[in-house]
Amino acid sequence: MNRILLWISISFGGLVVIAYVGLSIMAGGPKDAIGMLRFALPYMHRGKLQVGDSAPDVPLVALDGATRFHIRERSNGRPLVLVFGSFT
Amino acid sequence: MQIYNDYKDHADFLTIYIREAHPIDEWRMKSNEKDKDDVCYVQPKTLAQRVAIANDFTQRFKFPVPFGIDEMNNAANDAYAAWPERLYILDESGRISYKGGNGPFKYEPKEVRAWLAQRNGEVKHPEPAPEKKS
Repeated sequence: MNRILLWISISFGGLVVIAYVGLSIMAGGPKDAIGMLRFALPYMHRGKLQVGDSAPDVPLVALDGATRFHIRERSNGRPLVLVFGSFT
Repeated sequence: MQIYNDYKDHADFLTIYIREAHPIDEWRMKSNEKDKDDVCYVQPKTLAQRVAIANDFTQRFKFPVPFGIDEMNNAANDAYAAWPERLYILDESGRISYKGGNGPFKYEPKEVRAWLAQRNGEVKHPEPAPEKKS
C-alpha cells in the first residue's frame, strides 16, 4: 500500500514538474510561468459570444475621461472592427 | 494600423483599451523594461489612471484609430472576453461577423484583413513614412 502511494506521489510530482517546465518555456521563463498562472489564466476566457450573435453594446469612456459612448455608436452603417488591447 | 489606413474608407474602427496585460505590479515582463519606449505602468486602480495611460499610448504613437476606454467594472472586457488582446468585426446590423482568438498566440490581424478584402477587395496604401526625430 505504501509502495503504491509512493509511486502515485512520484508520478504526480513528475507531472507537476513537466507542466511547470512546459509553462516556463511557453511563458518565457520560470518567473513568467508564475506570472501567467497568477495573473493571466484567471482573465483569459474563450467567451460565449459566437459569430451571428448580437454584439454587446457596452458603454466606453472617451480619451477626455468624461464623455461616454456605446460601442455600436461608432459604426456609421458600416462594418465595425474592434481592437481590444492594452499598452503593456 | 496599416489595416486601418487601408480600409478606413470601407469600415469603422474602434480601439478599446482594457486592463493592462503586463503591469509592473502583476506579471511584469522584462521586454517592457528593455523596450526603448520603457513601457512600465502599474495596473490602474481608478478610471483616471486608465485614461492617463490611454492618453500616453495615443500620444506616444500618434495613434490615429478611434479610441475608447473600458470602465473600471471591465464591462467591455467581460462581455467580449477580450483580455489580453482580441479582434472582432461587427457587421452593419451589429452582429458578430468575425471573432478572433485570444492574444497573443491567436491574435491574427491578417484574418481581419482577409475579411475586409473579401468584402471590399484588396486595398494596400503605402505605409506612412516614419517621422524624423529632431
